Amino acid sequence: MSERSTSQMQNPERIVLVGYGPVGARFVEELLPLVRRGVATLTVVGAENTDAYNRVLIAEHAVGNADRDSLEITDTFAAREAGVHLHLGVSVTAILRSRSAVSLSDGTLLTYDRLVLATGARANIPTLAGIIRVRRDRQMPAADAAALDTGGATLPRGVTVLRDLDDAQRVLAAVTAGKRIVVLGAGVLGMEIALAAASAGAQSCVVYHGEIPMNRNLDRGGGNVLAQSARRAGVTMVNHSRAESLLFHRDDDGVDRFDALICADGKQIHGDLLLLSCGVGARTELAQLAGLPVSTGILVDSNLQSWGDPRVYAIGDCAHVAPVRRAGESTALPTGGPSGLIEPGWRQADWLARRFSNEVLGAGEVHALIGAAAGVVMLKAEGVEVVSVGNTVADPWVHGADGHAAACDAAPLNVSQWADPEHGRYVKMVTRAGILEGFVCVGMPRTAAELTLLFERGSELPADRSVLLRYDGPDYEPSVAGAFDMGATVCWCNGVTVGAIAESAEVGNTSVACIGAATRAGTGCGGCKMRIGEVLDRFATFGAMS
Amino acid sequence: MKLSLGETTPAEADAAASASPAAPAASLTVAGRAFPTNRGGLCKKGWTAAELLVSPDRILEPMVRQNDGTFAATSWSHALDLVAAKLRVTRAEYGADAVGVFGGGGLTNEKAYQLGKFTRVALGSSRIDYNGRFCMSSAAAAGNRAFGLDRGLPFRVDELDTADTILILGSNVAQTMPPFIGHLEGARAAGGLVVIDPRRTATARLTDDGAGMHVQPTPGSDLVLLLGLTHIVIVEKLVDRGYLANRTTGFDAVRRCVSRWWPTRVQEQTGVPVWQLRQLARRLAAGAARGAATGSGTYILTGRGVEQHADGTDTATAAINLSLVLGLVGTTHSGYGTLTGQGNGQGGREHGQKCDQLPGYRKINDPVARTHVAGVWGVDPDSLPGVGLPAVELLGALGEPGGIRCLLVHGSNIVVSAPNADQVRAALKTLDFLVVADFFFSDTAVLADVVLPVTQWAEEEGTMTSLEGRVIRRRLAVNAPEGVRSELWIWQELARRLDSAGTFSSQASEVFDELCRASKGGLADYSGLSYALLDTEEPVFWPYPVGSTGTPRLFLDRFAHPDGLARLVVVEARRLGAPAQVGGTLTLITGRLLEHYQSGTQTRRVRELSDAQPEARLQLHPATAEQFGISDEAWVEVSTDRGTVRCRAQVSTDIRFDTVFLPFHFSDDQRANLLTDDETDPVSGMPEFKKTTVRVRALVKAGAHV
Repeated sequence: MSERSTSQMQNPERIVLVGYGPVGARFVEELLPLVRRGVATLTVVGAENTDAYNRVLIAEHAVGNADRDSLEITDTFAAREAGVHLHLGVSVTAILRSRSAVSLSDGTLLTYDRLVLATGARANIPTLAGIIRVRRDRQMPAADAAALDTGGATLPRGVTVLRDLDDAQRVLAAVTAGKRIVVLGAGVLGMEIALAAASAGAQSCVVYHGEIPMNRNLDRGGGNVLAQSARRAGVTMVNHSRAESLLFHRDDDGVDRFDALICADGKQIHGDLLLLSCGVGARTELAQLAGLPVSTGILVDSNLQSWGDPRVYAIGDCAHVAPVRRAGESTALPTGGPSGLIEPGWRQADWLARRFSNEVLGAGEVHALIGAAAGVVMLKAEGVEVVSVGNTVADPWVHGADGHAAACDAAPLNVSQWADPEHGRYVKMVTRAGILEGFVCVGMPRTAAELTLLFERGSELPADRSVLLRYDGPDYEPSVAGAFDMGATVCWCNGVTVGAIAESAEVGNTSVACIGAATRAGTGCGGCKMRIGEVLDRFATFGAMS
Repeated sequence: MKLSLGETTPAEADAAASASPAAPAASLTVAGRAFPTNRGGLCKKGWTAAELLVSPDRILEPMVRQNDGTFAATSWSHALDLVAAKLRVTRAEYGADAVGVFGGGGLTNEKAYQLGKFTRVALGSSRIDYNGRFCMSSAAAAGNRAFGLDRGLPFRVDELDTADTILILGSNVAQTMPPFIGHLEGARAAGGLVVIDPRRTATARLTDDGAGMHVQPTPGSDLVLLLGLTHIVIVEKLVDRGYLANRTTGFDAVRRCVSRWWPTRVQEQTGVPVWQLRQLARRLAAGAARGAATGSGTYILTGRGVEQHADGTDTATAAINLSLVLGLVGTTHSGYGTLTGQGNGQGGREHGQKCDQLPGYRKINDPVARTHVAGVWGVDPDSLPGVGLPAVELLGALGEPGGIRCLLVHGSNIVVSAPNADQVRAALKTLDFLVVADFFFSDTAVLADVVLPVTQWAEEEGTMTSLEGRVIRRRLAVNAPEGVRSELWIWQELARRLDSAGTFSSQASEVFDELCRASKGGLADYSGLSYALLDTEEPVFWPYPVGSTGTPRLFLDRFAHPDGLARLVVVEARRLGAPAQVGGTLTLITGRLLEHYQSGTQTRRVRELSDAQPEARLQLHPATAEQFGISDEAWVEVSTDRGTVRCRAQVSTDIRFDTVFLPFHFSDDQRANLLTDDETDPVSGMPEFKKTTVRVRALVKAGAHV
């Protein structure tokens, strides 16, 4: 054993991970080989008292389409066996950077050489009269990070967000009981729940500010077609509505329960459950309290290393990747932020684990982490399908579509569009030099699947864009039409066409057996013998007519 | 004289030949005969197979390369003396492993067995592998891993007839094995034939008119597709819980792993819409449930399209996992199988042609196996070499320092069939000595120092093992032309010249009896078989240990692992991502045409077949063709860093617009494998044949041929 690895075995690299969601769990899995070799220790702190589960499927779970087992995503037992220390149901109360340690709610102090924050995000709670909110002072967060997360923010009875398993249980109870569900916010999660609830027999209603649902992802055309499709699916869509306060009625036990949502224009929307679906915010408090720079998330450079401390890293929904500000640059906080999608988080987890492994083992540098392309957003519900990504608002009638930029850029932005609101179909493709910069696709699932592939790979679209639309056409699956074309194959085994049989019949081979002897048609699997007979009959009829 | 055929491909065609020996070959005609697998049906290749016996191209004497590069005929004794001398010198100078052997999946069981023995005993070399590495290796590795045993179909092929649902992944049986499609009729009638292929092949068309569904994913995304289907089956509670508990192990880990592949994410990677994924998963499960009730269940069959990848073993494993989760395998109504690709693709992989294998599907590094086989061979177990190199590595060792200086090729045309084919051709030229046994001057034979003319299907005795593990007799129907010999005789003569230990019979029946003894106690146990039994025409399926009556359906009570349980093995899609398709960059897939077989050495010499398909044509979508100024029948150039193919275009809506297809049957600068990469699967050694990034351009602008 080399000197280096001997010393590593005696002083393994201490890695502490805060957060055991899907991204944290992925990081653990990828780091297991290093832990098994004994050259690193890994300690995981997770606030939820449960194994990591697949939060992406929480909406499916909440409407009863996925059970708890199918949310499981990682083998915590294998991690423990490999020697990973897990503290679940415990939260971190502070990062003590000067001591290279984190303190836990159960009093434990964990020291680290590298600290990875995968604290994720929490659902936003909008300001509504009737809901008590925790104040989050941007400049000066409260001293107790744990309290920030849960303490004092108990939502009234009949009001919930949808982020964890408990939330899902509340929603599921309402859906299965066929209750009236009011969804505040028309993002992808809100729309999915509303549509799924409606198809499960519950009454659902979506209340939102703007003109269209999913306005962060869709253009006006796509949004309108979605709204119309949702209405058709039985969801009440209430747009242009700013929610202001809640009305309650009193349960038998004396506790207030949600009764109605009141909007700025005085409209009252009654329901049994109010689901707040107003986006998520990164959990940044721990980092901020520790003096680390944060913006929309914990600020990290392209190596996922904190702007303020090279021993601290962040991945997943809590990480805001942005280039470190250099001297003389604007001190404004960078824009952008976590994508809220799982794929980029998993890529970060994989990459960081690989980087740690290489560094600890003294292996070479890893390739730079490629910044995630814009994430594809998909809304999937029975009969309503929406996929969108990137620039979706470009207008086909603005010259070069992106106006000013067209003058500077060699290739202009182009837009191709197909709108058929009557049938719930809409496609917009925004391209530069034939390559997608964004698209919206509503009600055309096969087209959406192909556009997604084209976008993900950065591939060139067929010059005739209409090729992409035909995938969802009824003619896409060819049928009997043309079965008697001269070129149509009758016998696959021997490659014999209608034309060849007709020709053979013309010289006197008018029975299936004769055709077989002359052309070998029907002498393979024999499955085409009936068709040979049909071809002969047809030929005989036409022959007699002429 | 009439010769009746019970199988499909030329190499298989002899299976049920019945005739009195010594008829003149020129008078042969081919006729069908009732047989359960093909029911007397043949495709074009079978009907015309007799022409090859009398082809004017046949080599009728041993040929030796002259100093001026031409070949001259010589006597057998001179040719064999020359070969033996060269083998001796090479071994003395560079060691036994400097001699390599490359076999074929078209050889009879007897030849496959004898070739392995000849290499290990007479040559003392570990370096033998065969073209089945390019064919069945991924499915075999996955089957062994999951079930502890690999037999293409663990059930009889005619059991498919009553299936409710059949899922075929990456196989175009309607053209590669046409009589097989008769077994799909039941599922078609039930609306349950599902074909997964990036092309709308003849097989995919069998799903038309309500007979089922064609799923058209982008090439190379099959693994993700299968993980996604498994996910849906689990989430929608369509799994067979009782089966999983009683017959398998590893479900929990697989469940957690596939939970990463929810439907929308699968759609993103495959191009298959969510509704189709769900519909397919539900149909598979409904078929399985119906099977339990009525006996007409669900079968999942994989082909080379999903297996010939650098993650082919994992992809086949994912198909098996899906089958296990649905409770299909080892039941009387459902199953999983892989469609064997070559004439003797099954038997060829059981008896020692593989670099790590001894007869009976034994492992060469297993001391017990070595002792047993060495005992049958009459040699010291310690004299047997260890594990050799899988095909691509073996070819990579040609002419390299410490590598192979002298190569024997039997039943294979590697200059056409190996990936990165031009490198293989160049490497063959660096050898000290190349010996090729063939009927014709194949693209590989023309590079040889000595070409040994060998017997064809109707000219020899032997056995083959079909995809369902059925052992079939090959019988002599006509005498071989004067000057043509069987490989069994050649190896006997060479062994004698090399003063080899052990015995090398030239009689197929004696070799078979020895094979049966050598396979005794192995996974592919033939010990209860004999020509006498086979000649009774009783259907026989291995394992067939002494005293048994064979095994038509495997795994009914237990799998072949010591605990009797099947393994669900966690596999992950690690080869995601594909290059941007811009400016003519497209994904190439390769495959077969109805008219041709393998490298085309045989079928290109049959007039009727070569007239129908005389040259390679690149299939591409009209939208893609339009984009790059390519019209139907116009010349195109397809290239990678490894090579360039020039051929005509075949414009068709039967292919995805991001994909092009090239058949691999043609020679010279139309070899599809000039383009393919020799990167291999870490488990099976299978090359990446079915996802090659290529550049396509019109060769000339307006019509004229360059």
